[in-house]
Amino acid sequence: MADIAIRSPSRAASTRAVVAVAGLLALGALGLRLADPQRVAWVRTYLVIFGSLLIQALPFVMLGALAAALVEVFVPITTLERLGRLPKALQLPAAALAGIAFPICECGSVPVARRLALRGLAPSAAVTFMLAAPVLNPVVIASTFVAYRGRSAMWAMVGGRFALGMMVAVAVGWAIGDRSQDDLLKPNPQEPHGHAIELGRPEPRWRRFFVHLSNDFLFMGRFLILGATLAAAIQTFLPAGILEGAAGIPVVSIVLMMGLAAALSLCSESDAFVAASFVQFGPSPQLAFLVFGPMVDAKLLALYGGTFRRGFVRTVVPTVALATLAGTLWLGVALG
Amino acid sequence: MSEAVATRLRSRSESRPRRRWSPPRVAGTLVLAAWAILFWFLLATGRDAFYLSTRTDWVVPVAAVLLSAAALGRLASARVTEPEPLRTRELWAMAAMVVPVVLVMALPPATLGAFSAGKRTGFAGAGFAASAAGIGSGELTLVDVAAAQTTPEGEAALAARAGETVDLVGFVTRYPDTPADEFLLTRYVVSCCVADASVAQVRVVNVTPGRFEDNEWVRVTGAIYPLGREVIVNASAIGAVPRPERPYLTA
Repeated sequence: MADIAIRSPSRAASTRAVVAVAGLLALGALGLRLADPQRVAWVRTYLVIFGSLLIQALPFVMLGALAAALVEVFVPITTLERLGRLPKALQLPAAALAGIAFPICECGSVPVARRLALRGLAPSAAVTFMLAAPVLNPVVIASTFVAYRGRSAMWAMVGGRFALGMMVAVAVGWAIGDRSQDDLLKPNPQEPHGHAIELGRPEPRWRRFFVHLSNDFLFMGRFLILGATLAAAIQTFLPAGILEGAAGIPVVSIVLMMGLAAALSLCSESDAFVAASFVQFGPSPQLAFLVFGPMVDAKLLALYGGTFRRGFVRTVVPTVALATLAGTLWLGVALG
Repeated sequence: MSEAVATRLRSRSESRPRRRWSPPRVAGTLVLAAWAILFWFLLATGRDAFYLSTRTDWVVPVAAVLLSAAALGRLASARVTEPEPLRTRELWAMAAMVVPVVLVMALPPATLGAFSAGKRTGFAGAGFAASAAGIGSGELTLVDVAAAQTTPEGEAALAARAGETVDLVGFVTRYPDTPADEFLLTRYVVSCCVADASVAQVRVVNVTPGRFEDNEWVRVTGAIYPLGREVIVNASAIGAVPRPERPYLTA
């Protein structure tokens, strides 16, 4: 078998360790039931937000893993090679526009992009797709429309989010440049690298499909849990009114809204309703919230940390931040 | 003839390597199954209403089916010819993935309460355009009352109904500066999940001091008086009610 853990330096777990872990989980469940820590207000708030983030986001990770497994097992390599043969100038915009066809939020787009890169799509194009899909897909555009319906800035927000989202995603792809798959992606210890899933006779397609599906889910899921742990803590303790004083200062208000988007870690399909609630901020800071949040947030940073090598985050975060800042400032001037 | 077939089958089975259970794949199956059970549990008990809005609760049955299929598929492919051991680090990672399942299923159902009311955005600014026609006629709900403040037309439509009797359900919230004979009747409005909850509140006056605790669910009947950004309900009757099956409103 090649659920290859060859690279993992960790020791093999003994049967006793497995039993101990199972026992700990059972004891924990019993202890929680008896002690009910939710009687403490902040613990209850934290656990409700933590649970809701996961219950909403994990199905999208599953859908992303499903799409990724379909790509891996059923999309012929020639299709991806054809995309790779597009002229460089067209590759990144084409990858960004492909995001329109994927109605998945940011958690789901990471496994798809990773799988596309593993299958041979230029890593810069895969990253462009990953960042664009959660902003450009029709569900997100529709929710932005609904959230801003009846406001004078409605079309500026809907159109601005689409255009700026695409521009920022392409800018990041451009910043990634010619980095190779090995430079960008961390190996998944659960997954074979460069050879068939099972050594010897190739596994049937259905087995490969389920192994890829579950490997991707298990790989991404743990980082989502890490991100939700952090995001729930921020949501529990950060008062919404803390930013109000800075709402009128142009650059500061944009940077603050980007920071807030990163801290709150909302799903891109619902963030427009929250962005629209910050009425004290103008359209530009709200747009920054809508573009930056689906590309960089607490749970995504955990997912990126697990998927990509360290240099990736060092490239993506400043590029997304600078491009979003520049774009929203320009739009602010254009909108008057 | 039959012996020839038997020999051929035997030689084929001897040439095919024997498959054994792969511990990492079995462990992965258990994690997937745990999450599948959680989503079936949410669906069966209706507890998804404590985490998601009615707009997004479709993810629960979808996830339950997908995770169940993934668990079964992984189990079916868990016998391999060269099993690797389950590494200690993987074991802990898998266990960590089960912790949220344990948390949700072991603890009694809970909702956001008064603690976070002061920390979250007010619904009045939450960007849900209210239909002035909807506010101007029919029974007023807490969402109508709060959403009326999003547009001047909505505000005017609500102002025109000053003095009418409303019947609202929410939980009791008090801030340090809330007078003893008042409280804020609060309800969270959720768009996707609780993480995006915003607050819909009205100030209830004419309350018997000390009668209701923070977080207690109550039904308030009384006359409504919109005063600019604040909406006051002069209570004629307040009674404790059980927490609604859908504690969050959806806008």
